[in-house]
Amino acid sequence: MSLAIETVGLTKRYGRLTAVDKLDLRVSASTIHGFLGPNGAGKTTTIKILVGLLRPDGGTVTVLGQELGWDKPEVRLRIGYMPELPKLPKHLKGTELLDVYGRMCGMTKEERKKQIPELLNTVGLSERGSDLIGKYSKGMQQRLGMAQALLNKPKLVILDEPSIGLDPVGMVEVRETMKEILKEGVTVFLSSHLLHEVEEVCTHATIINKGVALASGTLREISARVSGPVTIEAEVDKISKAVIEKVKELPFVTDVSEDGKKLLVKLKTREDVRSQVSQAITAGGGIIISMNLTGESLEDAFMDLLAQRKEGRS
Amino acid sequence: MSVNQTSWTAKFLAVVRYEILWNIRKKKFLGMLVVAFALTTLSLAGGHIAQAFGGPPVKPTPDFVIKSNVGLGGFGFFLFAIVTAMNTVSAEFESGTIVPLLAKPLSRTTVFFGKLFAAFLTLLATYGFLMVYMTIGGFVVYGPQNNLHLVPLSLFGALFSTLVWISIVLLLGTVSKSSLIAALGALGIWLGTTIIGSILGALAGQGWILTYILGTGSSGYANGGLSPLGPTGNGVSTGTDSIGPNLINYILHPSWEVTYYKINLGGTTPGQILWERLYSEPLSTIILTSIAVALIYFIVFVGISWYAFRRAQITE
Repeated sequence: MSLAIETVGLTKRYGRLTAVDKLDLRVSASTIHGFLGPNGAGKTTTIKILVGLLRPDGGTVTVLGQELGWDKPEVRLRIGYMPELPKLPKHLKGTELLDVYGRMCGMTKEERKKQIPELLNTVGLSERGSDLIGKYSKGMQQRLGMAQALLNKPKLVILDEPSIGLDPVGMVEVRETMKEILKEGVTVFLSSHLLHEVEEVCTHATIINKGVALASGTLREISARVSGPVTIEAEVDKISKAVIEKVKELPFVTDVSEDGKKLLVKLKTREDVRSQVSQAITAGGGIIISMNLTGESLEDAFMDLLAQRKEGRS
Repeated sequence: MSVNQTSWTAKFLAVVRYEILWNIRKKKFLGMLVVAFALTTLSLAGGHIAQAFGGPPVKPTPDFVIKSNVGLGGFGFFLFAIVTAMNTVSAEFESGTIVPLLAKPLSRTTVFFGKLFAAFLTLLATYGFLMVYMTIGGFVVYGPQNNLHLVPLSLFGALFSTLVWISIVLLLGTVSKSSLIAALGALGIWLGTTIIGSILGALAGQGWILTYILGTGSSGYANGGLSPLGPTGNGVSTGTDSIGPNLINYILHPSWEVTYYKINLGGTTPGQILWERLYSEPLSTIILTSIAVALIYFIVFVGISWYAFRRAQITE
């Protein structure tokens, strides 16, 4: 699979602070790749280097097969970028901004005429396109920021915290838009601190903290790297000794305990073994009301990786 | 992909469009335009207003338009430079709009010179409008006008003078990334050159220095002499603010020699002012020097601004 973004040893310093520290990042083409990290992790700095706003102090950056140099606009021709809380010129109207940005991207008059109303419609601003951006709410500016990022039909869309400032409906719409553009073969690089957002839309992710990549790969691969145990929480009607014994007999079970009506089954595997556990409970005479797998989510992996980093184990 | 690799010109014009849309919607720019229009109107109607209050009757003045200098002087050029350019680069950094702008597939050189060209076009339209208004108004109020074919020189001079001020406002704004520093810094320079200029020229007899500093320059007199009350003749300023009137004067009076004087305070009686003749030079020399000085300042200041803008990292 070809790479949309590849950084090797990418380093950026602000004085004595190393914001990005020898970062190796590989983003496969035609994927939605999450870029996760706490505040100050180096996400926005990395993105600004990718779009040519910051100059790296070390390492190489290749975007869509082209090595990034300082002030090389031809690379950006195929990149759409939505900054975190985009600041757009307030003296322009929504349609004027898209029109002038379209011209800057080299779009023809016909392309702009077709594309701009479509995009405004996609982001729910078709009624407000003729208003000055200064009169837009934060959420509306965020939507317009998304529209301008998609304007030049990019091959790579970089979104920096696209859901900040949006209402729940807007958040869902942003995610739907990401899924839609993925269908057209576009790569989406999504920086977010909303783990559930990344979990919902991304196929791949990189977790970064203090400028260092802690883990990268598919979401399942990242979760699998985490050492924390996976637990099945089963709500069972009438937990008996027989049920516990049957479950303990399973080769991948390390411990079984009771918590009221809940049976907590600790596993030494990251495979989905709920069906086997279910069969064991039933064989012991238990009736299952509900069953959940915990400890395998991206959030668990994220928290565990950060904790490992804090303790100095990576 | 539907997006084409279009020409540099198309992208450059897109930046110009972006900037002009901003310039013409700036409240301070519109305010300045209203003030300039009002001052031009006052200048046109001044004779009639004076007549209404018992002053002398308005006579036909065939040189009114050619001597009006688009209705603006040094401070007018400076103010137009401030309102046009103080936000050009610095406000993009202050507001954060520089981030989406520089992420577009444009080189920073295109963005920078697009913005500068937009400032030029905005001024051209503004001064052009004032010039046309002054010309028509002068014709209506003061009768048929002489030498109207030289009016474009006035426009050229006003633009050139303002662009020199714009270059310094742009430099201060680009390096500091602050509109306030750009405006106040330029104001400081304007006040400094004006005040120091007066002292150097009139009292210290060192007005020649002002020939090499942007602004009003040194004052001299052409086609006159020294009377007991002081110098007589046509006042001529050497600075970059006076390129337009000097060009017109040169075409109308190519042989003018400009003489400079110094004031000696405290003559033979207390409070007496003595004028001392310093030196003379042809008007052609003054014009060539002021154009060269203006060009050098413009190129150096714009060059440094462009270099700083190209290298600027967007941490905002």
